[in-house]
Amino acid sequence: MRNITLSQAVNEALAEEMRRDETVFIIGEDVAEAGTPFKVLSGLVEEFGTSRVVDTPIAEPGFMGIAVGAAMTGSRPVVDLMFGDFIYLVMDQLCNQAAKTHYMSGGKLNVPLVLRTNLGATRRSAAQHSQSLHALVAHIPGLKVALPSSAYEAKGLMKTAIRDNNPVVIFEDKLMYNDKAPVPEEEYLIPFGQANIKREGTDITLIGTSSMVQICEKAAEILAREGISAEVIDPRTIVPLDEETLLKSARKTSRVIVVDEGHQTFGITGEIASRINEKAFYHLDAPVLRMGAMDVPVPFTPALEDLTVPTPEAVVENARKLMSGEMIHAA
Amino acid sequence: MSPAKNKKSNAEDYLRMYRQMVRIRTFEDNANQLYLSAKMPGLTHMYSGEEAVAVGICEALKVTDKITSTHRGHGHCVAKGAEFKEMFCELLGKEEGYCRGKGGSMHIADQSNGNLGANAIVGGSMGIATGSAFTAKLLGTDDVTVCFFGDGATAQGLMYEVMNMAALWKLPVIYACENNGYSEYTKTEEIAAGSITARAEAFGIEAHQVDGQDVLAVNTLAQKLVDRCRKGEGPFFVELMTYRYHGHHVGDINREYYRSKEEEQDWKQNRDPIIRFRSWLVSEGIATEDEIEALNAEIKDDAAGAVEYALNAKYPDASEVDMHVFTDVEHALA
Amino acid sequence: MPHEVIMPALGMAQDTGLIVAWHKSPGDAVAADDVLFEVETDKATMEVAAGADGFVTQIRAHAGSEVPVGDVIALIGDSSEAVHTEEGPADATAPAATAVELPKGNNVIMPALGMAQDTGLIVAWHKAPGDSVAAGDILFEVETDKSTVEVEAGFDGFVAALLAEAGEEAPVGETIAVITATKPDKPVQASRASAPKVVPGPAAEISARAAETPAPKPAKAATPASKAAAPVAGTGRILASPKARRLALEQGLDLNRLAETGHPQPYHVADLETLKSLPTKGLETTGAATRRLTAELPSESFGGFAAWAAEAAGLKDAGALLAGLAAASLGREATVALERFGVARVFSVPVGPLGNIAAASLETAPDLIVRDLRASRISSVTLGAEDAPTLTLKQAGDGLAITLECASHQMTAAEAVALLSNFAGRMEQPLRHLL
Repeated sequence: MRNITLSQAVNEALAEEMRRDETVFIIGEDVAEAGTPFKVLSGLVEEFGTSRVVDTPIAEPGFMGIAVGAAMTGSRPVVDLMFGDFIYLVMDQLCNQAAKTHYMSGGKLNVPLVLRTNLGATRRSAAQHSQSLHALVAHIPGLKVALPSSAYEAKGLMKTAIRDNNPVVIFEDKLMYNDKAPVPEEEYLIPFGQANIKREGTDITLIGTSSMVQICEKAAEILAREGISAEVIDPRTIVPLDEETLLKSARKTSRVIVVDEGHQTFGITGEIASRINEKAFYHLDAPVLRMGAMDVPVPFTPALEDLTVPTPEAVVENARKLMSGEMIHAA
Repeated sequence: MSPAKNKKSNAEDYLRMYRQMVRIRTFEDNANQLYLSAKMPGLTHMYSGEEAVAVGICEALKVTDKITSTHRGHGHCVAKGAEFKEMFCELLGKEEGYCRGKGGSMHIADQSNGNLGANAIVGGSMGIATGSAFTAKLLGTDDVTVCFFGDGATAQGLMYEVMNMAALWKLPVIYACENNGYSEYTKTEEIAAGSITARAEAFGIEAHQVDGQDVLAVNTLAQKLVDRCRKGEGPFFVELMTYRYHGHHVGDINREYYRSKEEEQDWKQNRDPIIRFRSWLVSEGIATEDEIEALNAEIKDDAAGAVEYALNAKYPDASEVDMHVFTDVEHALA
Repeated sequence: MPHEVIMPALGMAQDTGLIVAWHKSPGDAVAADDVLFEVETDKATMEVAAGADGFVTQIRAHAGSEVPVGDVIALIGDSSEAVHTEEGPADATAPAATAVELPKGNNVIMPALGMAQDTGLIVAWHKAPGDSVAAGDILFEVETDKSTVEVEAGFDGFVAALLAEAGEEAPVGETIAVITATKPDKPVQASRASAPKVVPGPAAEISARAAETPAPKPAKAATPASKAAAPVAGTGRILASPKARRLALEQGLDLNRLAETGHPQPYHVADLETLKSLPTKGLETTGAATRRLTAELPSESFGGFAAWAAEAAGLKDAGALLAGLAAASLGREATVALERFGVARVFSVPVGPLGNIAAASLETAPDLIVRDLRASRISSVTLGAEDAPTLTLKQAGDGLAITLECASHQMTAAEAVALLSNFAGRMEQPLRHLL
């Protein structure tokens, strides 16, 4: 199988879906000739023209609102939000309008739109271009949230998102755009709500999302050398969440660490840990640990920024503690 | 009143406009009564006084044309073709309401008639209306979208973002600003600097101001602008000068601190769109007083019947609470 | 049909309105726009218009009364003829007209009888209103959960009121009867459906006693599992993972035992292996087999030995001697509990001279129990294993019968045989063993 970058995978997914369905269009800042700052969309405007690859002024609430209205009337917009941090700007249109329209209309109106944006720190971009804000939208009923962890997931999840009749928010890891992974030539879709067991293990479960899947895989390598067998699971979508796969693994290994790049407090890690705690409690031999980004605005200097994100070493250290039965956070 | 052209051949249209205005007024009187008698959950915002705006514009639209509405949305909904029964059911939270009771007064949507829904965020539907016009352009239909909003919404930033894009992309959308003089409990002049129409003109959007209590004037202008939108000459902006008879919402009773009873009486007695149009219909010989009284009575009965029906209608089953969260999941929490 | 004037909803979250004043009286002519009344809501007073032309035919709520939103407060009719002069009962603050004056006395309440019982069903009253009653008389029967309980009156006097009927349920703690010291003039019989709220009188003592002892607690099968899960008494909860606890429960393992050994907490699944390797303790948790061995001595010399020891060596405590011989039979330092005449004593017996035996605290867990039944009429014992191997001494003719009982995990068969043989030998010829 060929290896392509995550960036190419997203580009392919969009091109394939736009060829398949003429109601699909892309809207956002510098999506056409510029192809976005990350060059993910390069070449699309040449094929589909400026009527379907639509450059907007710098007006996130405006083009998000336009996408909502377009989606309600028969189009399938893919909104390009240049940085995940800008999601705060579109909150009313995303959470008050897109997320609630189907429900408020008693099921009569649909909002089939995709908001594609990104997450991830350590690009030395400081606090307003480095956040991982997927927990914000995962909190809102009516929105689906996908977190691709590789080029393969990025393509399969994007195609599913475009065909979904609900608003879907996809967060790509902006540090992974140039990472290559095997992606089939033939068409495939990845269904939502199906976690992927990246690595099987028996002693401890590492649940990682998006950028943190690689971190967990690296941690599992190190643990394996110490004789600790770690299972690594990528939920792929957090709404819907494949609870069953996570619980099954928790019951098997009886120890779980949840790793996510959003801020740890009130975040994805807490939600997943809590569900495991509620539904697999009597199978746990250790507290479920959360590992999120440090609860500080992301600092600019590399000397500090690198401290804020979970690392393989930190995951390994916590895994060792759980394995040894060390007392964790006990008074 | 504006001069009527071809009044004989258009008699049917005029009577329908009158009828629609009375239907709105009657609907609101009943809704107010339901609120006062504590039979309606929550509260509601009355459109009474502004009927000529919704009717004048919607009578210029096809069923497939779209509108977006506001928290003061019953008038738009009726004018775009909605039925009393489903509307009252929605107001009372009943299963047969337009939104199965899940939206209520502030979120009535009637997709079958192109009403994309009322919106409880002031200015919240401006993006939606513009996006609807974007779809028409993308898919090559000739549908026009009218975005209803109040003078209060002109203070929201979203309006400027979407007018900018609508103008850049020549979208078939008409921004209809219902200037009823008050932004909730504050005079418009206290919240809006400069001219309202000049806001649109700054983007190169052709803007008009019209007497919103004159249904013929509104309709004549709307027909012209809708036609031009269909030809790709949009967008347009219209400021409709009107007045709301009730407070910001039905519970806003003590309002002398922001406007006088004399002012209200003046609008009600001297500028009422229904009274004005009725006397014009009679004087032009389009209808007799008796015919109009009969029409009014018929609408009153119709509304009373719909209220009665809605009061007795059933509430949605408790199992509906987690339905319609997602299109493809029957019960989101199952 | 007259126009109904309703209390309007005026504020954002308003349930009632206070009528400040009426501007019209019954019989007055009124126009739709006329101010009919004033309402106070939240912070403002509002004038409300009549809403219909005609005559005020009825006013149903006084000025000063608070009326729920939506209630009809006045009627406007076509003529002044239909005027109702009397004012209706719509004053929401007025008490219900049917209120009953309750006799003052001792209130009998519905008692709480079950574990999680909120109400009791009155099966029958044994007294009628007006009856005299003694405190110990059965006043009524209550059905709760699965049993029916007879309840005593609790007070001497007369049944002045019964506030619930047989067949009705009453919440626990609610007054269901009143007993007065003097015969009531008008005893009350009411049902729950119509009973007014009862405020206890100033001197009323509230009491109700079940005629029997409280309903028996539900007999829960004492499973070994529930026992195993119990925390260490007095030392706080055992820290253990949920999975370790669950497995311990399922396998009947007692985490307390792990704690008793001083094994460090918190416990995880791996620690259960340690727990399993501990010798099982106690018949009740293990169901293990009991060993019982008996030795018979045709004659015994202990009495003589004790006398000799007291005289020659100043060892005057025969009990200590007996304990010493028993410990010596084990062949090691031991704590021995001696039970004699129903009195228990505990001795700490070091290896070496009998003079070094010391009394120990009764709390000390013994390694060996000696039960001296020589003075009793008991001829044979089969008591089963106890916390430690137990030697029972009985008189048998001129000699002694000695029984050793222990749990199989306390001693191997060989150890038991050795212990009993040694002890029997020492009892037969104490001096020889000392030498």
